[in-house]
Amino acid sequence: MKETGLGEFEEVILLLVGILGQEAYAFKLAEEFEAQTKRSVSIGAVHSTLSRLDDKGFLTSEMGQATASRGGRRKRIYTITASGERALQAAKDFRVSLWRRYPTLGTSDLPMLALPTD
Amino acid sequence: MSNNRPSPPKLAVQIIEHLVQSKWVEEVLGDLEEKFYTTLESKSLFLTRLNYWYQVFNYLRPFAWRKMSNNSIYTTMLKNYFKVAWQNLLKHRMYSGIKIGGFAIGVAAFLLIAMFVADELNYDQHYQNKDRIYRLLNVYSDPGNSGMGTAFPAQTTQIIKDNFPEVEKAGRLIPYDWFDATKNQVRRSDRIQNSYEESFAYADQVLLDILEIPMIYGDQATALAQPKSVVISKNKADKYFPGEDPVGKTLILNEDKDKIYVIGGVMPDFSAQTHLNFDFLLTLTGEEFWPGEQTDWCCWNYNPYLLLREGTDPRMLEEKLLLIRDDFILKYQEEQGNPGVEDTKKYFSLALQPITDVHLYSEGIGDIIPHGDIRIAWLFSAIALFILLLAAINFINLSTAKSANRAKEVGLRKVVGSFKGHLIQQFLTESVLYSAISVLLGVILAFILLPYFNALSGKSLSLSLTSWWLIPMILTFILAIGLLSGLYPAFYLSAFKPIDVLKGSLSRGSKSSKIRGAMVVFQFTTSIVLIVGAFMIHRQMQYILNKRLGFDKDQVLLVQGTNTLEDRLDVFKNELVSLKNINHATHTNYLPVSGTKRDQNLFWKQGRNKIDKAVSAQLWSVDEDFLETLDIKLVEGRNFTDMASDSSAIIINESMAKAMNLENPVGAKIMNFFNWKVIGVIEDFHFENMKENIKPLSLMRRNFGSVLAVKIEGDNMSATIDQVKHKWDEFMPKQPFRYTFLDVAFTRMYEDVQRTGSVFTAFAVLAIIVACLGLFGLSAFMIEQRSKEISIRKVLGASMLGIFKLMTFNFTRLVLVSFLLATPIAWYLVDQWLGDFQYRTTIDPLIFMISGLLAVAIALVTISYESIKAGRVNPAQGLRSE
Repeated sequence: MKETGLGEFEEVILLLVGILGQEAYAFKLAEEFEAQTKRSVSIGAVHSTLSRLDDKGFLTSEMGQATASRGGRRKRIYTITASGERALQAAKDFRVSLWRRYPTLGTSDLPMLALPTD
Repeated sequence: MSNNRPSPPKLAVQIIEHLVQSKWVEEVLGDLEEKFYTTLESKSLFLTRLNYWYQVFNYLRPFAWRKMSNNSIYTTMLKNYFKVAWQNLLKHRMYSGIKIGGFAIGVAAFLLIAMFVADELNYDQHYQNKDRIYRLLNVYSDPGNSGMGTAFPAQTTQIIKDNFPEVEKAGRLIPYDWFDATKNQVRRSDRIQNSYEESFAYADQVLLDILEIPMIYGDQATALAQPKSVVISKNKADKYFPGEDPVGKTLILNEDKDKIYVIGGVMPDFSAQTHLNFDFLLTLTGEEFWPGEQTDWCCWNYNPYLLLREGTDPRMLEEKLLLIRDDFILKYQEEQGNPGVEDTKKYFSLALQPITDVHLYSEGIGDIIPHGDIRIAWLFSAIALFILLLAAINFINLSTAKSANRAKEVGLRKVVGSFKGHLIQQFLTESVLYSAISVLLGVILAFILLPYFNALSGKSLSLSLTSWWLIPMILTFILAIGLLSGLYPAFYLSAFKPIDVLKGSLSRGSKSSKIRGAMVVFQFTTSIVLIVGAFMIHRQMQYILNKRLGFDKDQVLLVQGTNTLEDRLDVFKNELVSLKNINHATHTNYLPVSGTKRDQNLFWKQGRNKIDKAVSAQLWSVDEDFLETLDIKLVEGRNFTDMASDSSAIIINESMAKAMNLENPVGAKIMNFFNWKVIGVIEDFHFENMKENIKPLSLMRRNFGSVLAVKIEGDNMSATIDQVKHKWDEFMPKQPFRYTFLDVAFTRMYEDVQRTGSVFTAFAVLAIIVACLGLFGLSAFMIEQRSKEISIRKVLGASMLGIFKLMTFNFTRLVLVSFLLATPIAWYLVDQWLGDFQYRTTIDPLIFMISGLLAVAIALVTISYESIKAGRVNPAQGLRSE
């Protein structure tokens, strides 16, 4: 039986795969992750997560084209699958539902400041 | 690809190519290369390459690992080897257990001893300039009276600095009980309560530099530059000035207003692996212990340490240093009209000892520092190797003995196409598997035993899984032991001819019984030598502890710090003596145990100091109760009285009377700086370690010292000590009562002997266990082989005793041969060891007999379990199956 839950790192990587589209391969994902989160990550760690998400059926992959900067080697482009989309949606819904129950700091109870209108 | 564009490190690329699954390799290398060139845009090439390595290591995760491909012939066979080895291991649990257990013990012993020896070898290795730091030694090579020492007159280092440009720095140290060195009462000058501290030494400012003592607080270059400054250890800084920077604060020694020391710096605690260990370094800057002391050539109290310039040849320098002898020592002796001038010229020289040698190579140097001994380090290393060897022999013996069981397998493998090389590979794989299990067990065992070993050896060794050397060492061990011990069995087993084996004509494992016998002899020879060694060390220790010393060390309480009683001392002493169980007490600094005060003097018959050779002797200040308290026998003459005229009276020991050639010692007049009249002669008593002869000693009557030795009569020690403590608290409510016992201090002198003894015993026991494991395995095997013979003998009427004799005869014979071999070896080694002691026990043949009997007995017990089992078994069982 495959595990279908999403860890925090997995979730971010999955989102980045969706965002990067045709550019979603391990090196770019790692770069983007570092750029967005300011946390450093090794390509190996990203790759290992991608492969795990692949095993879970959230991603598919195929080899893309080669470029000179890669020494003529091809890259593996990841695309999100329908069940990946569903897992992301489920993760988001879960959070939203929790946020709904979270005690607000009362902004809605305070009277809105009425700006003087002329 | 001849362009100059930097490229990723080749080796890292290869690692990926080899270790990462082939389906990933292309994209991974592509990604890494993109990363490489992107990083290169913002970082230096070095950092980029470093980052590449980092990325590569991060790829070494399980998901990316290349799976062992299942169809390679090599891996399949390897798997099969392991499987067969494992099956064999489980099938013959007892034999496997013996092989593995023996090895584990061997490895544990080896590991512990290796750590011990490494620790010894590491002493004083931490100095940056360790190759250039030397300790100056004086060498006196008169055949009748040779010796080496570390002390020199005060001016020595100054003269060296002035005359020898090859000496970069020279500094002095006074580590022994002299003025305020060693022990003091100390307090912060703004507090009242005193504490007692034991590790004071005097040092020159430059010594901080030579010995590379860093400062936590204060400046190394000036910490001892001012008169009356002191450097204290971190430990003491935390004790006296918790949470403060103590530099500039003051300490008072012994309530003496003249001895207010300003703290110039705080040094880290001395490492355990150096020959020096002090908490307080008092400066020698501006110090003059009596008027003119610093330029006086009379007295030798300073240990010089030198830092030579790069490229200086210490041997050449030693030659040049003779200038000190020729221009100063001889000149002083001539001025004094000392007739020893000729001898000094002939026998005196100077030597430089590398600081790295001080710990292990100081045998024969009188420097009162506890030392290791390189010979002990060698001895222990040899023992470790031997125990490992014994375990390897078990392995080889049992593997070859049990070979018959594997013969069919070998034959069949050959028939279906195995080459000899494959079989060797197989058996080596098997032995590596055994050694892997044993080494891991051995390391665990070493972990468990380490605290006990530390207690035994007096070290504080630690073994941590994170030690960088542990994992590589374990791997090396596994391979080395596995291959070495597997080699012989592998060749032996793989040489079987398939036709013999399958026909069943191979003699069952008895072929190499001679070699096996030789190995058993080797094991037991080693064990017997170790047993004899352990017994002899123990015997020498007993000899030391029970020898008639010439004084009575038992029931003597040493009350410390009595100098602070000042003029109330006599009152205190009298009150103690009036207690019920106390008849005698004496007040002195000089006691017949190492580490108490000493004062070496030169003596002549009166008026003959310009004619005769001087006699070097101890001069101890004691009071009139010294002899009675310590129960020292007066042979002639009388003891001191408190008459004023006794201030120039002297009591000498028999050795001194002999050395000075006094025919009628009582009444003789002798001199050093003063004139003395001998009033009594005492029996020689051991006042130094028994490694040394009893030397000349004299006593004069003075009443000062910091120790009150109290003889307690009867057997109610603790109650009496309570009474003494009670009295002390009445006199000195602010100062804690401190005491030790003379016999404890005495035993401590021989701690090294005791430690060597207990470590030796422990390893002798281990060796015996390993040897017995092997013997047990072999005997079990032999009996298994002969089970049919035994059964038939029983059917024909053999008694159980007869069977037992038959089974044990062979092995007992081997052990007896071992005994014959071990005796001369052990004799020689023990004789060497005892040679260190001037006072030594005899080598008793009985010890050899006992050790031999013990070995035979242990061997018999080991064999008898299987033998008796064999004798009791129902013969039907042995004959039933065919």
